[in-house]
Amino acid sequence: MNKFKKYINNVNISRFRFWFQIFAFIIMVYGGFLSIDIGENLPTFSCPYIDKGGGTCFLMGLQHRFTLPIDQLISFRGLAVLTSVLFFVSWFIFFNKAWCGYICPLGTLQDWFTKLRQKIGIRYSNYSEAKFKKLKKIKYILLGLLILIPIFMANSIPFIGKLSHDWAVPFCMICPGRTVLPLFQGDASQLVIDYGSKTKMIFTVLGMAITGMFFAGAFFKKRFFCFFCPMSALQFIFKKLGFLRLIKDGTKCTKCGDCYRACDMGIREIADDIESKDIIKDDCMMCFKCVAACPEEKCLKVNFLGKTIYEATEEGFYKRQKGKK
Amino acid sequence: MEKERFEKVRKHVRSEAALEAGDVLNKIKDNFPDNPEGMNYFYDLLSRQFSEGILPKNGKKVIGTMCVQVPDELILAVDAIPIRVCSGSFPYDNAGAEFMPAKTCSMIKAIMGLFSVENYQKKFDMLVIPTTCDQKKKTTEMLTDMGYETYSLSLPSRKDNDNSRHYWQNSVKEFAADLMKKTGKKITTSNIKKAIDLKNNARYEFRRFFNLRKKSPSVIYGKDAFLVANAYFVDEVESWTSALKNLNDELEKRVNKNFSIVNQKTPRFLFTGSPPIFPNMKIPLLVEEAGGLIAVDEVCSSSRLLYDMPAYDEGALYDMIPAIADCYLKPCTCPCFVPNEERKDKLANLIDLFNIDGVIYQSFSGCQLYEMEQKLIGNFLMEKGIPMLYIESDYSKEDTGQLSTRIEAFIESIKIKKKSDLKGKRATK
Repeated sequence: MNKFKKYINNVNISRFRFWFQIFAFIIMVYGGFLSIDIGENLPTFSCPYIDKGGGTCFLMGLQHRFTLPIDQLISFRGLAVLTSVLFFVSWFIFFNKAWCGYICPLGTLQDWFTKLRQKIGIRYSNYSEAKFKKLKKIKYILLGLLILIPIFMANSIPFIGKLSHDWAVPFCMICPGRTVLPLFQGDASQLVIDYGSKTKMIFTVLGMAITGMFFAGAFFKKRFFCFFCPMSALQFIFKKLGFLRLIKDGTKCTKCGDCYRACDMGIREIADDIESKDIIKDDCMMCFKCVAACPEEKCLKVNFLGKTIYEATEEGFYKRQKGKK
Repeated sequence: MEKERFEKVRKHVRSEAALEAGDVLNKIKDNFPDNPEGMNYFYDLLSRQFSEGILPKNGKKVIGTMCVQVPDELILAVDAIPIRVCSGSFPYDNAGAEFMPAKTCSMIKAIMGLFSVENYQKKFDMLVIPTTCDQKKKTTEMLTDMGYETYSLSLPSRKDNDNSRHYWQNSVKEFAADLMKKTGKKITTSNIKKAIDLKNNARYEFRRFFNLRKKSPSVIYGKDAFLVANAYFVDEVESWTSALKNLNDELEKRVNKNFSIVNQKTPRFLFTGSPPIFPNMKIPLLVEEAGGLIAVDEVCSSSRLLYDMPAYDEGALYDMIPAIADCYLKPCTCPCFVPNEERKDKLANLIDLFNIDGVIYQSFSGCQLYEMEQKLIGNFLMEKGIPMLYIESDYSKEDTGQLSTRIEAFIESIKIKKKSDLKGKRATK
């Protein structure tokens, strides 16, 4: 048992994640071909715009369900919204935010871009932490909008009236998942600007622009899009329920900042916060690179239902650093 | 005439220094039982340092460093030899006192004495001095004035925000560029990777050593531990690492055989404050000769030297050099930083890990930062209920008698406390 534990702790988690992500990507993007359909309400970007995907993203259903008059929303029909959230949460709690780090096809795609950049030998860009902190709030605004806009499609706003149907699934319209992921099945039909109406045109133009930024951003900043992802914001609300946890023992921390260096999302608290035990922040995608980069015995741990499944060890750290190319 | 006089002084100071080093080494070897075989390498190395000098003669460039914050991976990467020149020698301290202000700390005086008495201008290709404390900072200019090639490595006073982190990363980058210019060698991904691995091997053995010291009752004296780390100042990394590996293997055997050099009742101390550098082993020796044991330390000449390891994410210079820089700034608990809460956290952690009964805090007189931080650390330890002995001292032997009385009394009081604690434990069982 101890030997097994040691083997696990010495594992190069990035390599494991690389293969796991490929596996998850195949299921999410090509699942239909393998007659796999995991289900609806998935807490990840398994985009319904892919013809034969392996599941459906929760955000799409959410936007549809909120297109209800308020009085219906608080009556029995509101239960549908509640049950879908319940399904979402029950999917979510198993992997917690690791849905982002291990499964999300859009996230995987960005990681591949990072790999490509490294291969070419171009450096990443640095941003000042203070500026980025403000930008990161955008994801909560997006989350708010993607609920409010559908509500105002079914309820009238004073002086303006109801929003037209062209406002449907507003987030999907600007999400790079819609434009990019179908490409993997050879479907470029989403890469168009819809001139049907003014609203539609604005949305699709915005969508195309964001797709461009998605590619450019992913190339120079690791997981650039994830900083603005409303799914990440939504998940963060339920993080306390997750079975999978990232735990920090602050008494063992020397604030050496190795974990902060490793963090693709640049979360400084992972190094500097020695008070919190549950150290998951809203941007965390639970890739556990921090655990792999921690040289302090048992300082950072990955727990599943209270049981430690992976933890920082001196030996593991040393082996991983030595094996780096 | 002047030259002759100078030559005479040099000879005199040199022989005095060699004598002092020999004296201290004999004490270290002969006054204690059960010295590990593996220590002989370190004893020999340090005695050679003062009798023959150990500056390498293989034609490689030699870069002198002061303070732990100098990233010597970079120096190793350009195929030069880093030598830490912080000195603990009293004769050199005396020589420095001739022209340094009276209230300068002994270490600074010893360094200045060393570089004024010895004509090292040609032997060191560069002296790298980080801007840590005011005294270290100013030595840079004085040494330049004496004709030395110096480099002032700019260190921020804070380490708790991203600005200072980037500032430090940039100053390390500049240093790397300067090194390349000086040595005419390029830092590449492969040679820096080699240098990091080389130093990480040393760090790995050092951590093993650190962990072996946790055993209670102990398998090795603190005086030996100080020497091991001190030897790193002047030794080549590879040979030092393999010597420490031998020592570790030996200590591991001791642990397995349940062999220890002291008994259960021996009080275990944590040593912190101004760094003891060989041959200034005054306080550690006084403590251990009086029946205490320095189980662990928190000083920049020993535990802090090689504990922290860098972790780079991408194997390219743009990530590796900042990673090296980070590991010298963020975890550093030098009192030149404000705020320095990490030092308290570290002490608390060490007290738990090493089963510490008391803390010995040394400041060199004139080392303002350690003197001032003593108050903060003292209050913190008082709250934790850990007794602390504060000692202000320098490199001279004048205060030995008075100090040994104080140290003995401190150890005695802890022994009594420990006895009653043990009894209490037995009673509750």
